[in-house]
Amino acid sequence: MPPRLGKLDAKAFAERGAREILGYKTEPWTLKQAQILNFNHEIDDDLGDYLLPRTMHPAIPAYATFTVIVCPESPVGPFSLGEVKIAGRAGVRPRDFVLRSFCDSADARRELAERWGYPAAPGEIKLTARHDRVIGRVTAEGRSILEMDMLDRDMISGNDIQYIASMHLARNKDDGQLVLVQVDPEFVFSRAERGRPLLRTLDSAAWGDTGGHLKVRNPISMSYAVADIALPRIRFICDPERPAFQGTTKVAA
Amino acid sequence: MKFGIFYEISVPRPWDRETEKRVYDNCLEQVVLADELGFDQVWAVEHHFLEEYSHCSAPEIFLTACAMKTRNIRVGHGIIVCVPQFNHPIKIAERTATMDIISGGRLEVGTGRSATWTELGGFNVNPDETKKTWDEFVHCLPKMWTQERFGYEGRSWSMPVRTILPKPYQKPHPPLWVAVTSPGTEVDAAERGMGSLGLTFGSFKEQAEKVKNYRRIIRNCEPVGEFINEKVSTVNFMYCHEETEKGVKNGRRLLGTFNFLAAQLLACREAYPTKSYPSLGLLPTLRQEAAGPGDDHGVPEGIAIGDPERVLRACKNWESAGVDRINFLLNALETIPQKDVLESLRTFAKHVMPHFRDENHSVAAAGGR
Repeated sequence: MPPRLGKLDAKAFAERGAREILGYKTEPWTLKQAQILNFNHEIDDDLGDYLLPRTMHPAIPAYATFTVIVCPESPVGPFSLGEVKIAGRAGVRPRDFVLRSFCDSADARRELAERWGYPAAPGEIKLTARHDRVIGRVTAEGRSILEMDMLDRDMISGNDIQYIASMHLARNKDDGQLVLVQVDPEFVFSRAERGRPLLRTLDSAAWGDTGGHLKVRNPISMSYAVADIALPRIRFICDPERPAFQGTTKVAA
Repeated sequence: MKFGIFYEISVPRPWDRETEKRVYDNCLEQVVLADELGFDQVWAVEHHFLEEYSHCSAPEIFLTACAMKTRNIRVGHGIIVCVPQFNHPIKIAERTATMDIISGGRLEVGTGRSATWTELGGFNVNPDETKKTWDEFVHCLPKMWTQERFGYEGRSWSMPVRTILPKPYQKPHPPLWVAVTSPGTEVDAAERGMGSLGLTFGSFKEQAEKVKNYRRIIRNCEPVGEFINEKVSTVNFMYCHEETEKGVKNGRRLLGTFNFLAAQLLACREAYPTKSYPSLGLLPTLRQEAAGPGDDHGVPEGIAIGDPERVLRACKNWESAGVDRINFLLNALETIPQKDVLESLRTFAKHVMPHFRDENHSVAAAGGR
């Protein structure tokens, strides 16, 4: 029996939010002292398969990651980003498939899409660090679509945190083909915390889940970090309709 | 050097009523043959919820069946997850003692704490706690086996004075081991006088350093048990065939299948930031090393697959690195047909084992048979 693979209709999904990428030759960016609030949450295993491209296998158990990032510095000025990602594996590598990103800067949205294929849409992102909690909020078209709190902040080491590289469904401007772009940032941590996770609001449809497949189950963990993020050159792309073992192409060393 | 076999009990979908039975039956048949061929130990893991990768959630039952069907092979219950939500320490003491009696004193006891969120999350375990509960358990277990009456006031568990029965057949008690996956756990093993049950691969150089460190530290250990079990064991894949091409091809299929299955699981570190799990644990380390560049046939360093000469070379290299025992994983998802697995065991016993025969005939560690 073939292994479990994602069941996402990539073409239909792309119609709802994929952006154009301008080839795969981007220069790296460094995002200094970015604040990152990250929430790992188990989701329904069977339904979760419908949120992963056929390139990827689901993690066991399936889980999603909700992220809010505030970047005070970038080549296009400050910007903030909110993301919902579905964890999976491309072959034997852990990878997150980004359902959708929301970003509060038009320049950053354009650059992130054209350089790394971020499926970025306009939105308001807020990250508030209080003594008792860290709060992340994402708003789009006047509606709150993600609200999460990290309670009881506790210092940990940046070495304890592992973020997973992400896969962005994008359309290559050169040939019009849909591709999954692998983005594997590097992080240098200057602060790391863990806390008790609390999900207050998740409007899954706003994040591209129009089929009602994103059902949260058991919360896992939440972390808050301050780090320099290096957004690297693109090294690998995948065919969204073929398993990663067969459909991965190396585009840079 | 001694050789054993090691079971995750990997079951392919679809899980109809016959699939799991067939896999268990195959494993038991392999154990019976391994016993006849002179393999020294059979180990079975304790894993829960690990779809396809491991359906070995009640290893004590499987190992009891192994003991009943064999005469000489030692049965390794390991690792037992030393976390209260998984196993109450009283139950561990009772069931291991019973297994030791039933097997006629052939039990080895491996201890550990689980490395996946799949399992820890399933039992609602706080990952920060597992190293601490493991330490409490391993300090209690030998006393529960050897003292007529035992009582305990601890951090993660307590009990008033009672008589824990039965007592193990081996005297003073079965050998104790620690699963070594995270960096530095070999130090934990050495400091407590326990065997190092390596479940990851590394380069020979890296392994030799670890073994050297283990043997240096264990000289000044404070043993948790009544004796020191100074032994270093490692795990390996094994597929041995007289034709190089077939040996390598089937062996690599085994590696690839195992590594793929392991990758789908959720390592604790990936999901839950904690200093308690500094590495990705058993599976990804094993995967990473096994996916290394390899030799002219693409076989990674130290992996016991291919023709007997290659397999012998790998085993000799592990011996040179200071390893006392190698436990072999024989199959994953039944990707290798049962008749080929059995033939591989026979080929190994015929062509490789004789090169280690003298050592194999030595008597087991204190408490052994």
